[in-house]
Amino acid sequence: MHAVRNIRLCTKDCLCLYVCPTGATDTETGQIDAQKCLSGCRLCVDACPSHAISLVPEEYPAQQETSGDVKKALGILSKSKTEQEIAAYEIEEAAETPRAKQLAKAIGMSNRIMAEDLLREAGFMLPQSGEVLKLLNSLVESETSEDFPAAAAEKLIQKLRKINASMKEKTMSKTTDNLLEAFAGEAQANRKYLAFSRKAEQEGHLNAAKLFRAAADAETIHALKHFEVAGKIGSTIENLKSGVEGETHEYKEMYPPFVEQAEAEGNNAAVRTFTFAMKAEEVHAGLYQEAMDTLDNQEEVFYYLCPVCGNIEKVVPGKCPICGVSGEKFIKY
Amino acid sequence: MKKYICSVCGYIYDEASGYPEGNIPPGTVWADVPSSFVCPLCGASKAEFNENENEKAKPAVSSTSDSHASLPEDISYTAAELSALFSNLAKGCEKQYDSEMADLYKELAAYYNLKSEKINKPDFESLKSLLQNDLSTHFAMANDVAAGQHDRGALRALKWAEKVSLMIRSLLNKVESGKADFLKEKNVYVCDICGFIYVGDEKPEICPVCKVPGMKMTQVGRSA
Repeated sequence: MHAVRNIRLCTKDCLCLYVCPTGATDTETGQIDAQKCLSGCRLCVDACPSHAISLVPEEYPAQQETSGDVKKALGILSKSKTEQEIAAYEIEEAAETPRAKQLAKAIGMSNRIMAEDLLREAGFMLPQSGEVLKLLNSLVESETSEDFPAAAAEKLIQKLRKINASMKEKTMSKTTDNLLEAFAGEAQANRKYLAFSRKAEQEGHLNAAKLFRAAADAETIHALKHFEVAGKIGSTIENLKSGVEGETHEYKEMYPPFVEQAEAEGNNAAVRTFTFAMKAEEVHAGLYQEAMDTLDNQEEVFYYLCPVCGNIEKVVPGKCPICGVSGEKFIKY
Repeated sequence: MKKYICSVCGYIYDEASGYPEGNIPPGTVWADVPSSFVCPLCGASKAEFNENENEKAKPAVSSTSDSHASLPEDISYTAAELSALFSNLAKGCEKQYDSEMADLYKELAAYYNLKSEKINKPDFESLKSLLQNDLSTHFAMANDVAAGQHDRGALRALKWAEKVSLMIRSLLNKVESGKADFLKEKNVYVCDICGFIYVGDEKPEICPVCKVPGMKMTQVGRSA
């Protein structure tokens, strides 16, 4: 978003010169220097007493769809209005009195403006739209006349291609964001329902426990699908790398301040669960790294999981080095 | 006492109050208003006024026409339309302060302008018959289609173009009835936004059709 000045409205009070932090508004032509203008700053916009400055975006959103029937109906009129424009200008040319010429000219101008407005509403509002790009492409293909300004058309096509590709990328990345947000939500729901299911089991509500388990599995199905569609599943070596990155972020950056905060608040249970997780994630990161380095090793490896703190060992310890639980409790993988 | 509304700009003539500024005293019934009366706001002729009965609900042009033209099968553009399409896009670029792109579109508009098919010796009469076709058929159909799709933008453009077309017909009627003198010592202005043609002494403060400030109306000069 950069600032632009409408010269017709500018009353030369020049407050924009006082407030602009980069001197972008001080130019001889009266145009604001887009190179110097700070994106979205708007100090000049708010300061201008004549409301002559506004912000213009670098990219515009996709336009509202126009139905095919509306385009056709408006097309009948825009055809008719352009015919009347031509007729009016020819009348102007041939007319004998200055008054008839004047009227014919006005009618010609009027019809051009009406035709433009009708075409604008028939899907050609935004000069950068995909609709315009399609039209330009089809014209370039079918035009054979030597007078056709092919260079201008080609230049426009290049510009529009670039803009439309970047617009498409933006829409795509929004959906990718949504997929990942849905993945996070579904994954969370899966663990929540498992926790609820355990609780229901403890309370002897076996049907409710079953339902929670089934629902938890359903959320797993959703989560896995969202994650897959988001394109986040790579080759195993890529996935191991992603594992190292995720675990390292957790034990180095995420958990330490969490532990600190819990200690400050005197929440011992939280200190304990955060610390267990933090230490276990560090072990996980190391195991992922090791697996990456030995991916081609065919020899079978066994992993043992501590059911209390989530620690993983390759040899069953006497007791867990993180939480101290007896090695007998470890689960073999 | 009844009221009559201008189908172009919405000005209301109230028989009870007349139009004293134009020497039409209060209480003058519509039938007694001279035929030379023009709308004080937009300059439309007396014939463009309708009785103000549920006027708001009724479009300026009756959509009761049974002879609906049918929609074409494909969307195709004539050279003249392409010229208008590109000059419209050039205006769009100017609004975005992108003069480089505006110039490229102008180049295309100029090319298609030259390519446009000429019309064989038109006169005001043949122009009026083209216009009449819009007013009796095309607008009604397009309004129906746009209303069916709830396309507000299209309905807005149609409403403006319809009013501007009515104004042009009103001007052409005057030419036809030999009153071409109506332009004598008057100025002619065209609204840059909607195309409304105003004939009068000074340009109106705002355009009677699209309500844009008068500074966006261009005076059409008279060459000797």
